[in-house]
Amino acid sequence: MKRKLVAMLLLSSMLLTTVGCAKKGESVNADKGKGAAVFDGKIEKNVTIHVLENDTAIEKGYFKELIEAFNEKYKSKGIKAVDANMDQHSDLAKDGPYGYGPDVIYQANDVIMKYAKGKHILPLPVEQFDCYKQVPKVAWKAYETKVDGKTYTCGVPVNVQAPMLYYRKDLLPADWKEKWDENKDNIPDMVQSWKKMYQFSVERHKEDSTKYGYMKSINDMYFTSGFLFSYGGYIFGKNNTDTSDVGLSAKNSAKGARVVNQLASVMNEDCIDDTITTNAYSKLGDGSYFSTISTPDVYSTFVEELEKNYTGMSKSEAEKKAKENLVMTTLPTLPASGDLTDNSTKEIACKSMGGVNAYAISSYTKAPNASLLFVKFATEYKMIQKRAEMLGIAPARKDVAEKVGGVSKQIYKNLDNNDIVLMPSISAVSQIWTPGQTFFTDIAKDAYRKDSEKKYKEIGDYQKGLKEMCKQIEDAITTLK
Amino acid sequence: MDNIVRNKNKFFKNNVTKKKKNKETKTKKITEFWKKSSNPVKASLVLMGIGHLKYKCFYKAIIYFMVEALMITYMISRGIDDVIGFFTLGVVKADAWARIEGDDSIIMLLMGIFSFIVITLFVVIYIQCIKDAYRLQLDYENGKKCKTFKKFIADFFDTKFHVTALSLPVIGVCIFNVLPIVFMILIAFTNYGGTIVPPELIDWVGVKNFQKLLVLSKFGPTFAKILKWNLLWAVLSTTLNYFAGLGLALLLNKKCVKGKAFWRAFPVLAYAIPGFITLLAFKFLFSYGGPINQIIVAQGGKAIGFLDLDAKISSRIIGLFVNCWISVPSIMLLATGHLSNMDKTLFEAAKIDGAGRFARFWKLTMPFMLFSTMPVLLGQFIGNFNNFGIFYFLRGGLYNKGYFLASDTDLLINWLYNLSIDNNYYCIGAAISLVIFIITSAISLFIYVKSPSYREEDTFQ
Repeated sequence: MKRKLVAMLLLSSMLLTTVGCAKKGESVNADKGKGAAVFDGKIEKNVTIHVLENDTAIEKGYFKELIEAFNEKYKSKGIKAVDANMDQHSDLAKDGPYGYGPDVIYQANDVIMKYAKGKHILPLPVEQFDCYKQVPKVAWKAYETKVDGKTYTCGVPVNVQAPMLYYRKDLLPADWKEKWDENKDNIPDMVQSWKKMYQFSVERHKEDSTKYGYMKSINDMYFTSGFLFSYGGYIFGKNNTDTSDVGLSAKNSAKGARVVNQLASVMNEDCIDDTITTNAYSKLGDGSYFSTISTPDVYSTFVEELEKNYTGMSKSEAEKKAKENLVMTTLPTLPASGDLTDNSTKEIACKSMGGVNAYAISSYTKAPNASLLFVKFATEYKMIQKRAEMLGIAPARKDVAEKVGGVSKQIYKNLDNNDIVLMPSISAVSQIWTPGQTFFTDIAKDAYRKDSEKKYKEIGDYQKGLKEMCKQIEDAITTLK
Repeated sequence: MDNIVRNKNKFFKNNVTKKKKNKETKTKKITEFWKKSSNPVKASLVLMGIGHLKYKCFYKAIIYFMVEALMITYMISRGIDDVIGFFTLGVVKADAWARIEGDDSIIMLLMGIFSFIVITLFVVIYIQCIKDAYRLQLDYENGKKCKTFKKFIADFFDTKFHVTALSLPVIGVCIFNVLPIVFMILIAFTNYGGTIVPPELIDWVGVKNFQKLLVLSKFGPTFAKILKWNLLWAVLSTTLNYFAGLGLALLLNKKCVKGKAFWRAFPVLAYAIPGFITLLAFKFLFSYGGPINQIIVAQGGKAIGFLDLDAKISSRIIGLFVNCWISVPSIMLLATGHLSNMDKTLFEAAKIDGAGRFARFWKLTMPFMLFSTMPVLLGQFIGNFNNFGIFYFLRGGLYNKGYFLASDTDLLINWLYNLSIDNNYYCIGAAISLVIFIITSAISLFIYVKSPSYREEDTFQ
């Protein structure tokens, strides 16, 4: 009897668990295929939005001001924005599907649009934003993606990143107004034309072998590729969307490669590797270098290094003097001939690679409407103006750019004129960096090879080198597809 | 020679006969079990624990019953789906915009492997249950009673303590060691990577990735070139490190050297600094703006690109010496310890017999050191074969002509990184890992079996 009882108990427990499991299995299958409208206008109440901002905005206090203003405005609705404060789970593609990651993300277009392919970020109703008409079309385009023949926009542009020329006003020759201002516009010629910069670099080094004019690590694809774009080169065809067409060797881009080689020849061997990238701050500070190229966000680092060289005065005086002498401006023009040594006068605009940073919303957020509210708030005129003032960024909004003026206005103009070539918003862009770096290293190295060992003697040699680089990129894209 | 061949044939012949005998015994045992086992024991084949219930071993009946119940619960709740998912790797594609959860092929692969581990463990317990039920029947027929629950538990802290101590680690090894390794191996047989990453669904592709490695014009030549250099690098760097470390240990062991502890501190300091910091320091040292080039330029010379695009030989040599700088201290410390255990009288006797320094080194020091350090030497060889840091830090970010996504100093592990991390090409990365594993394990096994550490185990004991 006892044995039968035990057996019955065990059997019934087994059957019970079996029945329980079957139900769970059915519910799992039922979950699949369930759809939901995302931005339905019903603001989620009592929610916390995790925002992943960039480090500079956090360090300089802008982000604190932004979330405080937002939280104050939407206090009654119980919506609160906080710093996502995450390093580990910031990858939406890897962590988002498992419930980790931020609700709102601020990043450059190449990073954000990497997420668009897997639909990890939501398409946004951008026409509703008050910045819609203020942001140039090219910036919106950087955030467009096509799904099933329909175009969606997945980010709201905030600021533009583009290379700028940094130079020391106090290192100009004493007689620069007579000798280096042919057009008498009170701006030194060498910061307006690469040809003059080349001549000035030769002269400066001739006078003192430890001093140089323009210095930059040539191997940096982000900064150097602009020379190719200026003469007709491009990254991918069809507005940077067609990976089967790699156009870095297109049209006269070989002329751009030759310009790079000529510029390398007036530097020293440090331009072959990343030595100059590392020491540009201190060398510009101590006066060894007259100018270099970098992004606007490192302006304060250059100022700090320059300050260190002003001894015998107070910190505020040194800072004032450093800010007076350090000038950040747009890139000089290039000779249409593609030769920095000839006498032609026709100049063309120097294009550069750039990026647009924007806000995007995670597809895995539990509060899409509240997140949208945050993005709208953060991209309003008032907040973008504050951002530009506090961080020195170049805003993507026309009205703010005009209000701020100066370099910001010029960067906006360059973007609008397509002189800033935005980084492609597709994953294949990752294949261009190392082949590009290798090619430019070779170009820089060639300036220091013996004549008998030089690889690039004629324009055709540059063309051949560019074609090889494009082939390398195409091979990588097609093989890894 | 004939003797060896004869012995080999004899060994294989004996092995085959033994296997045949084992098979026959097993068949005999199963037939005997089927004939002699009672119906409740046979019923245990369907419902675990029935046999134990019949022979009044209630606690075991409950345990086996619970195991089966849990197994059925697991299989119904997710085990069957996981096994099916392992083969299909998903059928519904996720769509975050439409809020469709979809299938995650990677999780399905992982859970599939996990389900096989669970099934294997269950099969082991199942067989154990049947054997135990049959043994109980035989004991019962001989008038023996089942152990009490108290005794059963007490045994796990006495005669079966090894089971108690090892069961948790074995489960841990299965989940945290076997599962990731099997997962990595299986990735090599899928198309995971490139554009096929979740939410895209992944498929099984058989041995296509290995075919790509060997046949595809982009991979094949690069693979062959890198493999050749990788083998040369592993042999050269291991030999260099070993002899440099041993030489340093012998030098600092000399009686004439004063302040041994002081001199030994220098290599130890180099060893104590994290490897990547040392490597970045060396990269700076040999860069165009580094101190070496500054000295050369100050002396009127021309800066040398030690590690740049054209620097194939110099960068390889620098790599070898930088690796030496990092690895020699550990070998030196190891050798110092072993040398202090050597029998000094052997050296004195050899000296009296007229053996020179060189002869004493080759005939006495080397055999002793090789015997005692062979496993470490193999570890060094594998470590050097897979030495990722050296060329990643010294010369990363360059692709050479004739190489696909690699430079002429990259090792297989660097290429694997370029493909799998930089370019998300996980399946090819996994295939390369498998090739690396096969090569390193084959070489290690061969060298170890041929080494005195294995063949002359008793010589120095």
